[in-house]
Amino acid sequence: MAEADETEQTDGAESTTGRELTMSRAMVDAIAAEMRTDDDVFVLGEDVADYGGIFDSTEGLLDEFGREKIMDVPISETGFIGAAVGAAQAGMRPIAELMFVDFFGVGMDQIYNQMAKNTYMSGGSVNVPMVLMTAVGGAYNDAAQHSQTLYGTFAHLPGMKVVVPSTAYDAKGLMHTAIRDDDPVVYMFHKRLMGIGWMPAPAGPKTPVPEDDYTIEFGEADVKREGDDVTVVTLGLHVHRALEAADELDGAVDTEVIDLRTLVPLDTETVLESVRKTGRLLVVDEDYHSFGVSGEIIARATEGALDDLSAVGRVTMPDAPIPYARPLEQEVNPGTEDIVEAVRDLAGTADE
Amino acid sequence: MSDESVAIDSETVWPADSEDVDEAIVANWFVREGTAVTAGDPIAEIQIEKVSIDVPAPATGEVAAILVAEQAEFRRGDVLARIIPR
Repeated sequence: MAEADETEQTDGAESTTGRELTMSRAMVDAIAAEMRTDDDVFVLGEDVADYGGIFDSTEGLLDEFGREKIMDVPISETGFIGAAVGAAQAGMRPIAELMFVDFFGVGMDQIYNQMAKNTYMSGGSVNVPMVLMTAVGGAYNDAAQHSQTLYGTFAHLPGMKVVVPSTAYDAKGLMHTAIRDDDPVVYMFHKRLMGIGWMPAPAGPKTPVPEDDYTIEFGEADVKREGDDVTVVTLGLHVHRALEAADELDGAVDTEVIDLRTLVPLDTETVLESVRKTGRLLVVDEDYHSFGVSGEIIARATEGALDDLSAVGRVTMPDAPIPYARPLEQEVNPGTEDIVEAVRDLAGTADE
Repeated sequence: MSDESVAIDSETVWPADSEDVDEAIVANWFVREGTAVTAGDPIAEIQIEKVSIDVPAPATGEVAAILVAEQAEFRRGDVLARIIPR
């Protein structure tokens, strides 16, 4: 196992080369590096070969590794995710791409009853060292079957580690860790963060990325911005929206922004440390409101720091299918202004 | 602008199968003004009709100027940036 990386990431930090990568390129960087050093790593999924992944998650890999290692598959989630589970149990390290997380239903038996449980049910005699990477999230008008995050769905079901990167730097380190992990890892990348030309990313996810391999340990949330007044806990795309909101509130409310980075394992301690300091907790989640990440974070905060809390809140998607129409989706998907308003509310500085 | 700088001309990376298209956008810059670059390394990604094309650095040196911003449109033959070779 490689040592955990200790590089501090700061805005505008110079990397070893000065290059800045999009999140998709950072992921590919890690996958390619692992494939060069470990013959057991391979990729399979829909449109991962010639097309390079519909969100560029495998761009360029076919040229270097060929069709035996970068395998396009038919539309058959049960088939190819099941094949990945079998390959993993036989000692390989497959990376299977579920094109949209919304398609989980057609392969869920393989994901949840096989991938997630086989180590336990075999009494530890088999490992399932595979990565299931999948595109999540909305904010680009792709309607109810192509816009969900489903963070809570996967984090709720035991047996899978769940990773949600928000920057190129994190994406590369977390991907190295995911591929090397001996357990199944669900690696959920937000389409809006990938940096593809037809879907511009916000300013934050493109970061300096060292050329050398490095890992980021699972279960280590990252304080992306320090503040004393209100703690905002979030993940994925909304890390950037929360940072924008914090900038907007600068001078009025000193906002701390915590990027969970992994849901399983979950870094409760960093959340507790922060709320002990601020006394106010806001969770921002692009997943549905009820029975999910936002409720879980608030529950853990109240279990661990009840006496320190004076206010809690959450900004989430309503419990309804995600609308296709642009104004409707913009209304329901938590925006920067929604976060600003909620933080002001918690801080008691809301306009009367 | 130094006379010694090398232009990154979009004409040189224009794909043959996009002959009849003359507009594109810059999808991503991987460098900023002042970044040191190595000849051949991708320094930008442009998008022509939903196809992404990497723009390699034409020389080893330093990025002197970025002339087309991210997400901005440009026309075939426009200069995207200038590099001062080392």
